[in-house]
Amino acid sequence: MAKRIAIVEDETAIRENYAAAFRREGYVVDDYEARGPALDAFESRLPDLVVIDINLKDDVEGGFELCRELRARSADLPIIFLTARDSEFDAVSGLRVGADDYLTKDISLPHLMARIAALFRRLEAMQKPQGTEGHITRGDLTIDTERMSIHWQDQLVGLTLTEFWLIHALARYPGHVKNRQQLMDAAQAVLDDNTITSHIKRIRRKFHAIDPSFDSIETVYGMGYRWLSD
Amino acid sequence: MNLRRQLLLVSLLTLMLPWAGCEFIRETEIALRTGQQQMLAGTARAVANSLVQYREEFPLLDASTATNDQLYIHELAARPEIDGYFDDWPLSSDSLRTIRGPDGPVRFALASFGQAVYLYIEVSDKNVIYATPQSLMAEGASRNVDRVTLASSSPPYLQESFSFAAEAPGQILSYKQTAYGFAPEATIFAYWQDVPGGYQVEARIPAGQLGTHLGISVNNTSDPQQSGTRSSSFTGRLPGPAMQEVDELNRIVATHVQSDMRLILTNSMGWRIATAGEVQADRDDSGSGLARRVYDLLVEQGKEAAFAEPDPLGRELQPYVSAALDGQESGSWFRNSDTGTAVVAVAAPIVDGNQTLGAVVLQQGTDAILSLRTEGLSRLIYLTLVTTFVVAGGLLGYATWLSRRIRSLSIAAEDALESENLTSALPSALADDEVGDLSRSFSWVLQQLGEYNDYLRSLASKLSHELRTPLAIVTSSLENLEHEPLNEASLGYTERAREGADRLRRILSAMSEASRVEELMSHAEPEQFDLRAVLESTASAYRDVYKERSFNFSSDLDEARATGSPELLIQMLDKLVDNAVDFSAVNDEIDLNLTGHDSVYEVSVTNPGPPLPERMRSQMFDSMVSVRGGENTRHLGLGLYVAKLIAEGHGGQIRADNVDGGVCFTVTVPRSKT
Repeated sequence: MAKRIAIVEDETAIRENYAAAFRREGYVVDDYEARGPALDAFESRLPDLVVIDINLKDDVEGGFELCRELRARSADLPIIFLTARDSEFDAVSGLRVGADDYLTKDISLPHLMARIAALFRRLEAMQKPQGTEGHITRGDLTIDTERMSIHWQDQLVGLTLTEFWLIHALARYPGHVKNRQQLMDAAQAVLDDNTITSHIKRIRRKFHAIDPSFDSIETVYGMGYRWLSD
Repeated sequence: MNLRRQLLLVSLLTLMLPWAGCEFIRETEIALRTGQQQMLAGTARAVANSLVQYREEFPLLDASTATNDQLYIHELAARPEIDGYFDDWPLSSDSLRTIRGPDGPVRFALASFGQAVYLYIEVSDKNVIYATPQSLMAEGASRNVDRVTLASSSPPYLQESFSFAAEAPGQILSYKQTAYGFAPEATIFAYWQDVPGGYQVEARIPAGQLGTHLGISVNNTSDPQQSGTRSSSFTGRLPGPAMQEVDELNRIVATHVQSDMRLILTNSMGWRIATAGEVQADRDDSGSGLARRVYDLLVEQGKEAAFAEPDPLGRELQPYVSAALDGQESGSWFRNSDTGTAVVAVAAPIVDGNQTLGAVVLQQGTDAILSLRTEGLSRLIYLTLVTTFVVAGGLLGYATWLSRRIRSLSIAAEDALESENLTSALPSALADDEVGDLSRSFSWVLQQLGEYNDYLRSLASKLSHELRTPLAIVTSSLENLEHEPLNEASLGYTERAREGADRLRRILSAMSEASRVEELMSHAEPEQFDLRAVLESTASAYRDVYKERSFNFSSDLDEARATGSPELLIQMLDKLVDNAVDFSAVNDEIDLNLTGHDSVYEVSVTNPGPPLPERMRSQMFDSMVSVRGGENTRHLGLGLYVAKLIAEGHGGQIRADNVDGGVCFTVTVPRSKT
């Protein structure tokens, strides 16, 4: 059965372009241009994945509100922010209200499709009984490539898709320096230097919350980052 | 000319005060003097009227006599010694009347003291011919000797003469010639004194010996065999009437004078016939020397005071006296240039019917007015000078204060501009005057400038933000289009459109970089790191990235502890190196250098290449300013702006200098505190 994707986006041209792309991939698409109609529709039936713009016409923070309400209704509904707002503050806010990913509109359609597919894959993997296949273990780090989840010292680290892919790219070959371009490719995103730096910072902070002595991600100044194995 | 000098010049206007004061004093002085003169004239008129009744006392006037033929007999205050010298006469030498003689001037004076008339005469004579006893005795033959003759007559009866000749210098005997003969006159005491260039004769003649008309004649010969040349005080056969003060008139006028007042009575020819009183003209009340000098500069000078004195020759010929003798009451005033004392003089005619008997001259010192004046003047000068100084000082102080305010305002404004702290408070902002207005205007202008700068700074990120959505429409449409059946040509166009959109995306990303760096910096948690290690590793990374340049890293430090965000500093370095690469040629060497100073590290990136244009030096770190030439339009001029943001965010500074054959960018980074 085809997956149902809802797009909430006030810009008609973008909405229709994305909708067309999603349909081409075989998804069923519902598109809404404002929060109200979207919520009304979700009342009767929740889609399988929601793509939300933050700024919805005059409703400047409408996307955040919508995300919060959706998250309240379903804990595992994949929610992606797709927005023109590229500030760090907005990204952090978006993830805090429960989004699975925060993408700027720079992203190309293929990249977007890859992410959506990954999110669905993760969702499916979650519903299967947990196996050990597809696990990568590096010291205290365990990467479940099926569920796209990461454990550190057997504790789940709550990561976004981008963050997961970054760690995955680094930890697959410990000791190898991954430059920014390589990380960007791995994360299926067009990210500038500062965004990569921010992401690495955020990842470190998340690990520090579990293990204050975490120092496995090393900055190689001028080149990139590498994963240090014990 | 600065404000202080200007106000100081303006304060010179207060010098008008002394000028106005002096004008006032001058007016007052003229008014006072006029008043005094009028009062004096009234007195003179009264005296003149009262003197008419004494018309008999006025000396007789012979209208046929030329005044030159008349002699004046001075009143002496003391008895002179008969010794042939004039210096013991209580008269000035100006009183000597001069007639021409063959060998030079002949000067003489007649005076009376008690019941005697005194004669003094000095004769220029190159060759004095003394008399012999024979020539003395020879009546009439005496023209062959040097001789002085005093002619005396009382027309129409009496005509006689006294002749003075000497056998030798010393006391001589005078001879009297009358209609009856020629004989020595024992009552006359005379003395002959030889002096270089001539001789002097002094004689005392009892008043009773003399008539009313007197004349002097001198016989000068240079050869005893020849008769000499006669020079005389009178031209006719007979001398004119001698003039002198009349005792009776003296007594009368003495009752009319007050203190510091002089009265001179003249007859119709101007001969002084009575005097009374004295003007004390040489009192020392000159006040302060400065006041005097200022006064002399300002106030009208009178005629020299000496002219007010009674005429030494006995005839008052001052214009105002002459005017009075013509029937016109008249006045004048005199000043002593040494003491400043002034004399006011008036002359009033004494009119008897249609005949002018003479004139009354009244003179009074204006001492009272003058002393008032000098005192007032010095006080005025003192006060106005003090006022001028106070005003000038006040204005100077005020100007200093004002210019200090304006200067501090301009300095503050310049500082604000330089430090780009455009919202800082300017001095005098609360002042309720024009400087306050100026300060507020400045603040306003600076604020506008600041807002404009902020607008410029945020323009790039705002623009990129606004353009992102349309760009997303373009790219997503293109990506959708690729899935549609397209012919070869359409595919080519789509590809090109995609490339264009991609480039646009990169530009937008660069434009929003500055705001993201600012954002990062405000959230960044500063960490301690080794700047040297960071630079060294970065330099080796550059070697990999820019294979067509070589990179040298040098440092005099083993370790450089700094605080901040190494990622951001690297980003800054990226901009500088990117810049250095763009401006250098293939295989050029780019130098990275780290040096330590007291409180800062200095990181420099030096590349060979064209120098920076001087006029761009101050702006090149601003947003959207590029020093590149026209062919490379890819640069929006944001790189160096981002570098500056990062440097300043770390508490450092960035600057660009032209060095020998290249350009050097230097960034200071503070040392870590701990």
